[in-house]
Amino acid sequence: MRVTVFDYGAGNLHSLLKAVVAAGVEPVVETDPVRAADADALVLPGVGAFAPAAARLAPGRELLRRRLLDGMPCLGICLGLQLLFERSDEGPGAGIGLVTGAVTRIRAARLPQIGWNRIEAVADPLLLAAGLEEAYYANSYVGRPESLATVVAWSRYEDDRFPAAIRYQRTLGVQFHPEKSSSRGVALVRAFIEDART
Amino acid sequence: MISKRLIVCLDVRGGRVVKGVNFKDLRDLGDPVELAARYEAAGADEIVFLDISASHEERATLLDLVQATAERLFIPLTIGGGIRSAEDVGLALRAGADKVSLNTTAVERPDVITAASERFGAQCVVVSIDAARDGAGWRVFTKGGRQPTDLEAVAWARRAVELGAGELLVTSIDRDGVRSGYDLDLTRTIARAVEVPVIASGGAGNAEHVVAALKEGEASAALVAGILHDGVTTVRDLKERMMAAGIPTRRTW
Repeated sequence: MRVTVFDYGAGNLHSLLKAVVAAGVEPVVETDPVRAADADALVLPGVGAFAPAAARLAPGRELLRRRLLDGMPCLGICLGLQLLFERSDEGPGAGIGLVTGAVTRIRAARLPQIGWNRIEAVADPLLLAAGLEEAYYANSYVGRPESLATVVAWSRYEDDRFPAAIRYQRTLGVQFHPEKSSSRGVALVRAFIEDART
Repeated sequence: MISKRLIVCLDVRGGRVVKGVNFKDLRDLGDPVELAARYEAAGADEIVFLDISASHEERATLLDLVQATAERLFIPLTIGGGIRSAEDVGLALRAGADKVSLNTTAVERPDVITAASERFGAQCVVVSIDAARDGAGWRVFTKGGRQPTDLEAVAWARRAVELGAGELLVTSIDRDGVRSGYDLDLTRTIARAVEVPVIASGGAGNAEHVVAALKEGEASAALVAGILHDGVTTVRDLKERMMAAGIPTRRTW
C-alpha cells in the first residue's frame, strides 16, 4: 500500500511519519501535490500557515479533489483539515474544496489554543476505535462545515464549540494533532491506516 | 474545556540532561531521549529541551538529539537555547521540534520573533522571559540569566506578543531551583497583560506550588524540572493534586 504524506515545506513531520510506521506502513513524503495524489491513502499534515500551503497545493488541487471524491482515504490534520475547505480567513489561496463551509478564527480571548482539550460527541468509528477522549491542539483557526452532518466530534475552547473532526466519504479531518496526542493519538493514525487497507 | 498543562523541562548540555541551581553547579541526570520518553509515559503533557551548552561543539549534537527524540515522543517537544535566527527556528522544526523558544535572540533581534511567526505560525513561537524582581516590577535578563537588560518584564511580554509570540515562558530567576514556589505575582501580572498562554517557570518545590501557579498565578501551564528529576514527587502525584484542586487536567492513568 502506498501512503503519501504531502509536505508543504514547514515544520516537523517526524512524529507523524513514525506514527504511520508504527501502523506497519512505510510512508512516502511528497513535496509535489500531483505525486502525493498518486496514492492508496493520503495524509495532509498539520504544520504551517494556510496561504503558503495552499500555494504548494495549487498545481495538484483539482487532481486531489477528484481523488478524494473518488474515495481515496485521506487523513487531514489541523491545517490539513482546513485545506479540505475552499478558503480560509487566515490567508489567501484556495483549498481543495472538498468540504463546503468556512475556516474562521476561534471566538476566544486567549489564542492560540495550545494544549490538551476534550473530544466530545464522538460519532466516527476510527475515533471510537482509538479511544481518543482528549487530544493536543495548537491552532487559532478552525474549519466549520456548512453541513453539521459532516461533523463527527466536537471540542470547546472558552465559549466556542467547534468541530474536532469531520468526515466526508473516506476523508477524515481532525482539528487536533493525533501525532502529538500520545498513545491514543498514535492509535488513531493506526486505525486510519488499517481502515485504508480495506 | 482545555486542560492546564504540566510541562517537564530537561536542561541539556553536550547531549546530556543536567540540572543546576540559579543556572550554576551542574549535575548529570541522564540521556534526554530516554528521560523524555519516560516522562511521556508518566503523563507529562509536553517536554522542553533547554540547551544550555556553552560552546558550539556541545551544541552541534542538539539537532540529532531532537530528531532521535521526535521519533520516539508523541507529545509536543519545545527546543530552547542557542536559536539565533528564523533559519535556526526552521532547522529545529525540521529536526523534529514542535515549538521553539527564543530568549536572548528575542531581546537582541526582535524581528526574529516576527519572521518565525509569519513563516511557521505563532503556535510554534515561544518567547522565554527570564525576569528578576527589581523594585515594584521585574527586570528582564538574557544569556541564561546572567545579563541584565533595560527591559521591564511586563512591557516586554506585551511587546513580544505584538511581534508574534504565540506563547510566553516566564521564568523567575529569583526562584529558579530554589523550590520556594513560583513568583505568582510575576506570572499573574503577565497572564493578565497578554492574550496568549503563559507558562509559569522557576521555583516549583511541591504540588501546592504547581496548583498555586495554575490558580492564583493564572498560568495556562506550569513548567517543572528538578523536583521530578530528583524524585521529590511524580507527574501523577502533581496531576492528582491539580485535579483535587479543581484544575482541568489531562488524566493518563
